[in-house]
Amino acid sequence: MIWAGLALVVLMALLGAPLFAVVLAAAMLGFMAVGVDLAAVAINLYDLTDKQLLAALPFFTFAGYLMAEAKSSERLMALIRALFGWMPAGLAIVGFIACALFTALTGASGVTIVALGALLLPMLTSSGYKERYSLGLVTTSGSLGVLIVPSVPLILYGVVAQQMDLGEPFTIQQLFMGGLGPALLMVVLLSGWTIWRHGDVPRTRFDAGEVWRAVKAARWEIPLPFVVLGGIYSGYFVISEAAAMTAVYVLIAEVALYREVSLRALPGVIRESMVMVGSILLILGVALAFTNFLVDAQVPQALFEFMQEHVSSPLTFLLLLNILLLLLGAILDIFAAIVIMVPLLLPVAVGYGIHPVHLGIIFLANLQIGYFTPPIGMNLFIASYRFDRPVLELYAACLPFMGVLLLALLVITYWPGLSLWFL
Amino acid sequence: MPERLRRGIEVAETGLLVVFLTAMLGVAVYQIVARNAFGAGVVWGEEFVQMAVLWLTMVGGAVASGADSHIRIDIVSRFGGPELRAVAARATALFTACVCAALGWFSIEFIKWDFIDGTPGVGAVPAWVCETIIPAAAAVMALRYLRHAVWPRSREAS
Repeated sequence: MIWAGLALVVLMALLGAPLFAVVLAAAMLGFMAVGVDLAAVAINLYDLTDKQLLAALPFFTFAGYLMAEAKSSERLMALIRALFGWMPAGLAIVGFIACALFTALTGASGVTIVALGALLLPMLTSSGYKERYSLGLVTTSGSLGVLIVPSVPLILYGVVAQQMDLGEPFTIQQLFMGGLGPALLMVVLLSGWTIWRHGDVPRTRFDAGEVWRAVKAARWEIPLPFVVLGGIYSGYFVISEAAAMTAVYVLIAEVALYREVSLRALPGVIRESMVMVGSILLILGVALAFTNFLVDAQVPQALFEFMQEHVSSPLTFLLLLNILLLLLGAILDIFAAIVIMVPLLLPVAVGYGIHPVHLGIIFLANLQIGYFTPPIGMNLFIASYRFDRPVLELYAACLPFMGVLLLALLVITYWPGLSLWFL
Repeated sequence: MPERLRRGIEVAETGLLVVFLTAMLGVAVYQIVARNAFGAGVVWGEEFVQMAVLWLTMVGGAVASGADSHIRIDIVSRFGGPELRAVAARATALFTACVCAALGWFSIEFIKWDFIDGTPGVGAVPAWVCETIIPAAAAVMALRYLRHAVWPRSREAS
């Protein structure tokens, strides 16, 4: 009976049932199997109210959607272009940095493709970059922001990992620090590769006047990183408060100072951003129930013992982990993958002596690549839709970028110091 | 569903999302100011912000059900033939409707326990009142997926 139910759930997942329903059904079956009252799923869902950090998600997401609604992406591009555009392969590097920062703030690399890609793509092709390279850049670069504070996947990993009792505590601030080195490595490798391949693209001159104009245009948004980082690292606020301050700051900037989002448009922005938050947190809520069942049934422990029997070295474990996560990242959405897989894999990884912060970075770096891994990486379809190109063309355009990022992934995996230098 | 009821639910949903997000922001900022100005914020402030996360989640999830835009593995809808897709859309919608209905049903049990125990919720508001959003949203989601099962929407890349 339980097994038939489980088979049905797996079939439904493959046929495209919403993941929250799949995980919810799996949790209910699990509770039924061990004889727990099914009201337990509602109790676990209610546990969403028990995590202070979670309130940061609606705030940051709302701020990001507001910025996407305003012309922030244009100002960000203009500013970074004025600052870095003169370097060899400058415009491409501008693209990497701007996309990374925009995703870090909006939490969704799809939004970055839509908001920044349309600006960036014609700029790149008209300054001499090959069409295929330019398409690859705009499709992949948004994912670079996943590891940069205060990205939603980072916070989500923190929430999921911290609610587990691992005996290896870490703070969300440490997790944020941990992502910076790896993100920088990715940008540096991509830039180096671009300079090597496209260094002959004509360069523009540095123009102080242009910098000044860009700074003036972005004057209300330039303080934003300081609001976010100051809020997080001053020790004065909890993360959710820093997120609330960010949301209020962005609200005032875009609505009152730039006047690019009208008060009448606000309910629409709130609705859109909260639908994204709702669909992520609903999966998290039901995954809490599923995790409780797994822990009750001692599944992570069994998994660990099984792995210990067959894999002795942490290095081999990490290699297997990377392969598993790359495959998962290609079929599972990043948020779903975090809430479903972290509870299973984190205890095993800690058993191999891997630090939870390092594991988080490896986890996210893999899933980040999953965003544009054929055949169903989400960004491929968003870009195909946005730029009106066949998906096959995007597969080809993204492959070289994937190669460079896989190299970065190897470094990140086998050099824990890059993610843990501050510990 | 009658058109007026459908419209009413949509307006109510947007209204709840706007009210809760704004209130959350207001309370969070007030807490920061009050802590620094008077040394302490209101006692229920943090409880409220955390409860609002649940409400935003449930209402946001219900809205996502209306457009069937929930996160999913979409191999079939990308690569399956039109017939397989049509069958899959109906079957998964029916499955989701049943699961949501079950969630709603069993959450009522949970609310009853907290009602009897008088579990505290946010400030003077008891927990069971805060929990009512779970069956309410689950019911809306179940009805919407039932609708998708009868009249499937074509799922396009958003």
